[in-house]
Amino acid sequence: MGIKGERDGIPISIDEINKLRKVASKARNNVIKMQFYDHSIHVGSSLSSIEILTALIFRYLRDSESKYDKDWLILSKGHAAPGLYAVLAEKGLIPEEELWKIQDISGLLQGHPEIFIPGIDMSTGSLGQGLSFGIGVATGIRMQGGKGKVYVIMGDGEQDEGEIWEAMTHAVTRKLDNLISFIEINNYQLDGSVDDIKPKHFLPDVWKAVGWRTLFCDGHDFASLIDTIEEAHKIREPVVIFAKTLRGKGFPVIENTKVQRASPDDARKYLINA
Amino acid sequence: MMQGSTLSMRDTLAQVLVELGEKDKDLVVMTADVGDSTRASKFKEKFNDRYFNVGISEQDLVNFAAGLSAVGKKPVVVNFAMFLMRAWEQIRNSISRMNLDVKLIVTHSGYSDSGDGSSHQALEDIALMRTLPNFSVVIPADSADIKRGLPKIISHKGPVYYRVGREYSPQITDKMDYEFEIGKSYVLKEGSDLTIIGAGVLLWDAMKAAEELERKGISAAVINLSSVKPIDEQTIEYYARKTGRIVTIEEHSVYGGVGSAVAEVVVRKYPVPMRFVGATTFGRSARSQRDLIDYYKVNYETVIKESLELMK
Repeated sequence: MGIKGERDGIPISIDEINKLRKVASKARNNVIKMQFYDHSIHVGSSLSSIEILTALIFRYLRDSESKYDKDWLILSKGHAAPGLYAVLAEKGLIPEEELWKIQDISGLLQGHPEIFIPGIDMSTGSLGQGLSFGIGVATGIRMQGGKGKVYVIMGDGEQDEGEIWEAMTHAVTRKLDNLISFIEINNYQLDGSVDDIKPKHFLPDVWKAVGWRTLFCDGHDFASLIDTIEEAHKIREPVVIFAKTLRGKGFPVIENTKVQRASPDDARKYLINA
Repeated sequence: MMQGSTLSMRDTLAQVLVELGEKDKDLVVMTADVGDSTRASKFKEKFNDRYFNVGISEQDLVNFAAGLSAVGKKPVVVNFAMFLMRAWEQIRNSISRMNLDVKLIVTHSGYSDSGDGSSHQALEDIALMRTLPNFSVVIPADSADIKRGLPKIISHKGPVYYRVGREYSPQITDKMDYEFEIGKSYVLKEGSDLTIIGAGVLLWDAMKAAEELERKGISAAVINLSSVKPIDEQTIEYYARKTGRIVTIEEHSVYGGVGSAVAEVVVRKYPVPMRFVGATTFGRSARSQRDLIDYYKVNYETVIKESLELMK
């Protein structure tokens, strides 16, 4: 799959990019740190999503008292919840100390997103369900003449689910131009590489053939991400952004492998050097 | 055999939905390519912009409804009972878990899709749906019950599973004057020797059995357990104490359905001997729903037989 490179005229300053990088770096370190407190969290998938979540939460998502005017963020790949929580903590929506209580019986943060957690718009965790929900939200917003946009983040492994086919064809029928989907291409799913289990190289062709506008970006590069999101906003039909990412990005002991988590010792070494 | 006048429940359903749609502009109706069969498409004729056919995509249907509800619309999903169960996990993980205000109205439940055979006959859905937190499970008895109950179901805050058949619908409650309320059961006939508890179209069999038993000198009360969840514990306990015996009848598996729900109350409140009349196998094709009810002996004759054994 081709990845679009950076272009001239990116609508963001170097200063802002540096700020976003700082947020992402802190969130990345906090995800790795969360492992000390609960070894079972999905670190690899979370690190894959950090920059996409940071760009959306810090640059794009507009809040509003009206459900029709606010923007919605749906983390369909709910196992990346620690990544989302870490970015929401940077935004101030979740107290940082809650991060260390993730999955603890006394804590707020669940293993997968739940709507009782601040900043969470859909309870997810079971794969393949976010896009249909996003279509419902986007349709409701359109019916009401609201300004809200809906962002749905999916994984490449998640594309195995049949409901995604149901939803991708449905969104096109509704001509929803307030719905922007991301598919992270990190080439890993639970049991191994996507290529070995169910290859996905044809996915952009399928989405395009069905009627989606397909865009591509580097899901860890803010300039590429923001350029692509800006382009998506100008398109008057459903847009899917294929974002090339690395599972475990930035955490060398698991980066670009199917492994979701490293040992506490490896995490400690990383954080000391970070 | 066939009883006197029947009124199609699915036709009544559509008529009431259209009436409610006039009053509430947030009401939206959706289905998965069974708009004509369920009669949901009647809503489209009137409110095209508030009607959605998502195609043959039940999982998408459920989460689409969940999304519409999350943003403030009032979605009513209308589909075949059997095929909505294909999306049970979506119902659980989205609607139930987020406690969204989505109404699931299913038609073609039980044996009512007689011709299509076992693949289309939902005999497990009550069991599946009543385990879900936040969900209410309601089974109207007949068209009159839909007219009095559906407006309250739609105005109820929270998810509801509303189970309707197809054509066959002997009138049971049309002469009755009572207010429908979620969580309440309704006494169709008083009695003192035993209690027959049923739901849906098989209440006709419950009443017929009670009349036959009366001729044999046995006084049977009959209760319409339209609200399977929440369940009317008070009435069940009262009749368990009063009559000392209970027979349940349902167009559903005897495992996990109406009888099981009653038994869960009875063992806690006032244990009495019970018998369960319902399905124990998959169905098959038949020319009519009534043929299946009689073929599988989920009928008044079995209720009479079980009642007589309980009276020994």
